Amino acid sequence: MYNGVSFFTVECEVGFMCGIEGRGLLLLMMNLQQVMPPKSTANGFGRRRGEREGGTRLESKSQSGKSNSGRVTTTGSVIGSKSGSCAVSSHDKLLYLASCLIGLSVEVQVKGGSVYAGIFHATSDEKDFGVILKMARLIKDGNFRGQKTVAEFVSKPPSKNFIIPSSELVQVIAKDVAVTRDGFANELQSDKQRELMIDSLISQTRHVEERELEPWIPDEDVPQLPELENIFDDPWNSKKWDQFETNETLFGVKTTFNEELYTTKLLRGPQTEELEKEAARIAREIAGEDTQDLHLAEERGSSIHENLGIDEETRFSSVYRGTGFDDSGYEEDEDIVLNTHNNETFGDSSGSVDQISTDFAIAKSSDGGQLSSSSFIVDEAQTSQSDGTGADLYCSEIPSRNFSTLDSESRVQENLLGECGGNNDAKDFVEKQPLPEDAQLPKSGDSQSSPNREKAGTIKVGRSANATPYSTSHVLSKGNEKTSSHGEPVDVAASCKAPGEPQSVNSRGRPGSSASSNSDRAAATSASSGPGLSPSSSMGSLSSEKSTLNPYAKEFKLNPNAKSFTPSQASARPLSPVADNAFYHPPNVSAVPHMHGLPVGFGMGPSLAAQQPVIYPQIAPMQSPQTYYHPHGPQYGQQMLVGQSRPVFYLPNYQPVSNSHHLKVLKCLTKDEIISWLIGLEHLCGGSALLTERNPERLLGIIFWEGSSAVHEIAIKPGSKKVLRDLSSSWDMIL
Amino acid sequence: MEGQVGGSGEEFAVGCLLSIKTTLGDEFDGQVMAFDRFTNMLGLKSGPRRNIRLLNANYIKDFSFLGQADDPLDPKKCFLDLSRLQAREHLAVRQAEADAQRIGVGVTTEAQNIFDALSKTLPVRWDKTVIVVMNEVRVSSPYLPESVSGGTAAANERVKKVLEFERKRLQARGSSQG
Repeated sequence: MYNGVSFFTVECEVGFMCGIEGRGLLLLMMNLQQVMPPKSTANGFGRRRGEREGGTRLESKSQSGKSNSGRVTTTGSVIGSKSGSCAVSSHDKLLYLASCLIGLSVEVQVKGGSVYAGIFHATSDEKDFGVILKMARLIKDGNFRGQKTVAEFVSKPPSKNFIIPSSELVQVIAKDVAVTRDGFANELQSDKQRELMIDSLISQTRHVEERELEPWIPDEDVPQLPELENIFDDPWNSKKWDQFETNETLFGVKTTFNEELYTTKLLRGPQTEELEKEAARIAREIAGEDTQDLHLAEERGSSIHENLGIDEETRFSSVYRGTGFDDSGYEEDEDIVLNTHNNETFGDSSGSVDQISTDFAIAKSSDGGQLSSSSFIVDEAQTSQSDGTGADLYCSEIPSRNFSTLDSESRVQENLLGECGGNNDAKDFVEKQPLPEDAQLPKSGDSQSSPNREKAGTIKVGRSANATPYSTSHVLSKGNEKTSSHGEPVDVAASCKAPGEPQSVNSRGRPGSSASSNSDRAAATSASSGPGLSPSSSMGSLSSEKSTLNPYAKEFKLNPNAKSFTPSQASARPLSPVADNAFYHPPNVSAVPHMHGLPVGFGMGPSLAAQQPVIYPQIAPMQSPQTYYHPHGPQYGQQMLVGQSRPVFYLPNYQPVSNSHHLKVLKCLTKDEIISWLIGLEHLCGGSALLTERNPERLLGIIFWEGSSAVHEIAIKPGSKKVLRDLSSSWDMIL
Repeated sequence: MEGQVGGSGEEFAVGCLLSIKTTLGDEFDGQVMAFDRFTNMLGLKSGPRRNIRLLNANYIKDFSFLGQADDPLDPKKCFLDLSRLQAREHLAVRQAEADAQRIGVGVTTEAQNIFDALSKTLPVRWDKTVIVVMNEVRVSSPYLPESVSGGTAAANERVKKVLEFERKRLQARGSSQG
């Protein structure tokens, strides 16, 4: 120990470094908190006597008139030299050198020849010079003489803290180190650059050491020129600004810009207007899609959840602060992010699926459950179990919502199967939850306290316009499943039930239109997957979404050979709870005053029990409750049932719910299905106008309003969310 | 400090230019910046690149004196900004952690190369020795297109394609280098 300086503990964590030179040079005052014991084993370091001693020594030395005596913190600590003749001890110099290495990536060679690379963290001292590295890894194994790099395998992850005792230490090598002020300046700059925390870096990091963000406030003395800010925002600005023209005027520069160089040439022909309309429609749909991705939502102008305390960073940056890649659960955030990524990566086909699942997930989450799109049933269960609030919510939506029907429907048709399997992103709910529907149903039934719980998947649809399409599809699908022994719906259901096979949704082909998803999807899925569970639940949960039909819903295929549904037998069990709450009715049905009574749904009658138990294999018993009966249905129904292989709609055991209307939106049908369906309907209902026959292309969904003996048909443009018109004209409700 | 080094420290006077051979076979030149005879550690500055080397003098097998120059460490110019150092360390640790995530433990270099190639365009992570792409598609050993499983059909397909492409590229590169 010369001149009393004793310890070098370059322990940065603490913030102070103490190295004192007896003769008046003070490197820094450091708080010795962790002194690396040179002889310690690699299991952490603790305080050493050195530290203690250091402390005392420090004290004693501190009054040697150092320029920076006392606790001099960090910035700009200086090795002050009292006079030119004061020398810095070599020991101090070494210490100083070592300090310069802090945070740098160094290589340490040990006795055996092995070389470790890591971040220099600390050195210790007193008598020995050992080193601590962070995130150290072996890069050259001394045992393999001559081998430059470690063998093929990285055998273990880097060590967080790696201690090399002085007895082992041979040398420490650091490249490109700045040791003097000149060098520092350069380094500072590069440091600053490296410290730029880009969003993705922030998302990745587990440390939370970022600076405190402050909102930007413009300077007061900056001239505010509001008229400059929104110069292009005014749509009424008649003088459309043409940059080329401006350029030419101002600078005489003629443009050679040709738009067609950069994009597809537009062929304008006789169909232009039609195509444009179609394109505009699709654009509107896409723009109107619900999304859980905050950024997308903002672009589309949807309102954000102002009350959810979403800070600016979440809203506007791409920093994702979540659990990263841990697939720890069905967190919304994860869904959002991953789904978005997947959307971007994989494009639309999967995109919609993703979105659906996302939406669905989101919808569900409102119910407090974590939905994965695929698990409608689960959702349902969740919903049902969670509480009736979802349902309530659902209900209340009815008046306000639009019928988003059928594009969902069409999607539903096509995607039902896909949906079952596809609910993709990371949420293998389907697989994970074979969802014993049976179990669920009774459960839901049991758990239902409020009438809204119509677990049987009824009419969650009712919930709102959004729901409606869903419901319809849902119902429809249900009905379909029941009535017809359609391979598809059944399969879908079956497949949904059999999680083992995640169907690829995409392969089903989604209609290009946007996936209005969420509940719709859910509904559809539920339809396929379980009796009415999902749609309802999804619907309910999606109250906040302007969802449409389940794009994944399986396409309804009419099975002319379907057996008639005979509700009698199986109806016993779930029926009652289902029936009671079978139809979701919003408590505040003011908007649809005439709605009451039975929700009309259709089960393609025959299907049900016998033949299409497959449809909801799991929910076989629920089948009956599933079907929606028209109040007058049974009469016809029976007739139908008896002789007919045609789809019949009727509602078994429906118990009217007062003051509520139930709206079931039927799934999309193909043209042929619609025709045959409507023919059956005609029989059933005494013949209402079957406009669909005339315009089969247009009718994509049929909505039956409860409480009336007539069947209201709604013509819905494929893919749109609006009802074109109520063909039955006795309907005065705006969906 | 020239005078301070005693005993065998003469040759380790600060500012000396030395050529050193270590017992482990390293050879290098450097200028002495510091020497602590208590720990027997020698601090050297090497070459034009400002490389710093802290060498345990016990392991010096042989050295030769190349010349003498001034003390490279001018005390007046030496500053230590602890906050900067700490920040630097934290940043480095963060980076290292992020990098560590990208390294598979117990995987072959081939696998690691594939992982790196995939990570250029797809979000990937390691799950033991399985490459997980976008959290849904899994590529397990031997990382062939056949080993791709999971995910939606589109995702699966895409990963397969990227994998094939990257493999071809790696092969082409490997053969051109080999």
